[in-house]
Amino acid sequence: MNTLRLVKWASLAAVVGLTVALPYLVSSFYVNMATQMLFFGLFALSINLIAGYGGMVTLGQAGVLGIAGYGLGIFYTSYAVPLGVSALLAIISTILVAAFFGLLLVRASGVYFLMITLAQGMVVWGVAQRLTTLTGGDNGLRGIARPPFAVEYWSYYYFSLAVVAFCVFLIARIVRSPFGLSLKGVREAETRMAPLGYDVKRIKLFAFTISGTFAGVAGLLLAMYNNFFSPPSVYVKASAEGLLMSILGGVGTITGAFVGSGVFVFVTNYVSGYMERWPTLLGLIFVLTILFTPDGVVGAWQRLVWAPLLRRYGAADEAELIEVGVGGGGLLSDRDLKGSKSAIEAGSAAPSEEPSEQVEETRAGS
Amino acid sequence: MSGRQFVLLSLNGISFGALLFLLSSGFTLIFGLMRIVNLAHGSFYLLGGYVGLTLMQGGQSFWVAMIGGALAIAILGFVVERGLLLRVRGRTMPEVLLTVGLSLIFADLALARWGGDPILLDRPSQFAGTVELSGVTYPEFRLLVLGLGILLAALMWILQSRTRIGAIIRAGVDDREMVSALGINVNAVFTGVFVFGALLAGMTGVIGGVFLSLYPGADGEILNFALVVVILGGLGDLRGAIVGSLLVGLIDSFGRSLTPSLSYFLLFAPMALILIFRPRGLFGRATVD
Repeated sequence: MNTLRLVKWASLAAVVGLTVALPYLVSSFYVNMATQMLFFGLFALSINLIAGYGGMVTLGQAGVLGIAGYGLGIFYTSYAVPLGVSALLAIISTILVAAFFGLLLVRASGVYFLMITLAQGMVVWGVAQRLTTLTGGDNGLRGIARPPFAVEYWSYYYFSLAVVAFCVFLIARIVRSPFGLSLKGVREAETRMAPLGYDVKRIKLFAFTISGTFAGVAGLLLAMYNNFFSPPSVYVKASAEGLLMSILGGVGTITGAFVGSGVFVFVTNYVSGYMERWPTLLGLIFVLTILFTPDGVVGAWQRLVWAPLLRRYGAADEAELIEVGVGGGGLLSDRDLKGSKSAIEAGSAAPSEEPSEQVEETRAGS
Repeated sequence: MSGRQFVLLSLNGISFGALLFLLSSGFTLIFGLMRIVNLAHGSFYLLGGYVGLTLMQGGQSFWVAMIGGALAIAILGFVVERGLLLRVRGRTMPEVLLTVGLSLIFADLALARWGGDPILLDRPSQFAGTVELSGVTYPEFRLLVLGLGILLAALMWILQSRTRIGAIIRAGVDDREMVSALGINVNAVFTGVFVFGALLAGMTGVIGGVFLSLYPGADGEILNFALVVVILGGLGDLRGAIVGSLLVGLIDSFGRSLTPSLSYFLLFAPMALILIFRPRGLFGRATVD
């Protein structure tokens, strides 16, 4: 057991060390890839926050990200507001829009939630495309600057690293807070939360707004990275790619979002140099993940490698916790969570309505 | 706004609504029975249009192109249903997300095969002219689309309310388990409905190629219109698809004329109102989830 813990901490230390030393180790091409991985990872994590922890799958998050990107661009380039103030105003706009979108979503769940978010994202895209006086239409907004202290590729990397690390720290705190647990409660058994005294609508609204705020931060980093912002960044495809990263890495995990964004950035930056049809490859990865490893890379790792290791070294309880806890519960996987004692004790994965409904529907369908 | 302009915009809205109905009727039927939100429906539409384009480039008429596009997408729909969706049957999220992944693939393959330039298909020669309607000169083709929309609505109405298949589908919407307990092969019904929806989408794609033109991204745009239609009208209901299509068509038509840059945003207003006051849509049923 101690050996395992040591391995875990040592690998964590190695990852942190590599992350910090990266610009000294590899060329600018790879550092830029790492920068993209950071802000796309934050974007995926923002989706993960509501989809993985809250069970609300969104296909419109790029629209929310776009409010921040366009906000920054419009305030900074069109109205010559200082960069820092522009960024702040952009984030405030994002929070307001996310809250407004959230108000329309609080009564929806499941596929309705997904459809409405998709339509919301498309509205942002449509406005970005057609309100050319403000957004530049297809040409997008040029001349979005990076902060003066982070203009170089390596300094922008460190800047992104600091921002993303701070956001990850906040998100990790949020999901472990009482609010985060009530969010999981909504995921597992929405109808049971109200009788327990929870205001489900308020939880959903908060979750969507918080998640949108982090997507907004990712949007700022994206816009400053490219010095540019345009409609494709807010299109439904961008939302789907964010969801792909989130699911590929493993919904309901924090590391998963960055594993997913790593694969995404690798395909878009590296594989695309050798393979013209890389978007098809992304789509295939999406389809195969959903069919074969719905709990994603991190989920599969924990279930197939980490849990057996823990069991072997005498930590069966912890292993079982992992086995029932990963993969966003009943969101994508069809494993039946019923009858697992530690799951009930852990409180995070109590027998839910979702799986029993699924069993029912499977029966009807076959 | 002059009376003539009002008539013109109304006709534009109603005929665009008819096009939307051709697409969203299949979308909503698939959802009503199978609870699948088929987000590849826009891709089916676009691919159908492109198949029609290839046929027309080969010298075929519009009608052959329309039937060819419909049949090609029906086959594609069959493969998707039997090959992929059947594997995750009954699990809502994987079903929806699979169709998302497929739409990414289809969009890229269509780009590879048919390129990125917008292409407008030729009108059928029989409907290439214009007619006079209360002082407005109006293209015949748009009236043809309106006619097709009415025809399809009537056919689906009869199919749903007067035939055995319709009875099975209606029963399946209400209680799938009971239907399968009565010895009806629900899986076959599901596949049939999915293929029918795909067929309609492929057909609409060829019509849409004349109406709106074909280009990468048309899949997502038309899908969004279909989504707004069913959010307004209520998922899984034929009346909802009819009323929703007309509403969206008219809002879009008048919106484009009054505030071109914000027309997309105008669509959002009724959707927001519906979501606040009647989240299930105008004709949505409380049992649907």
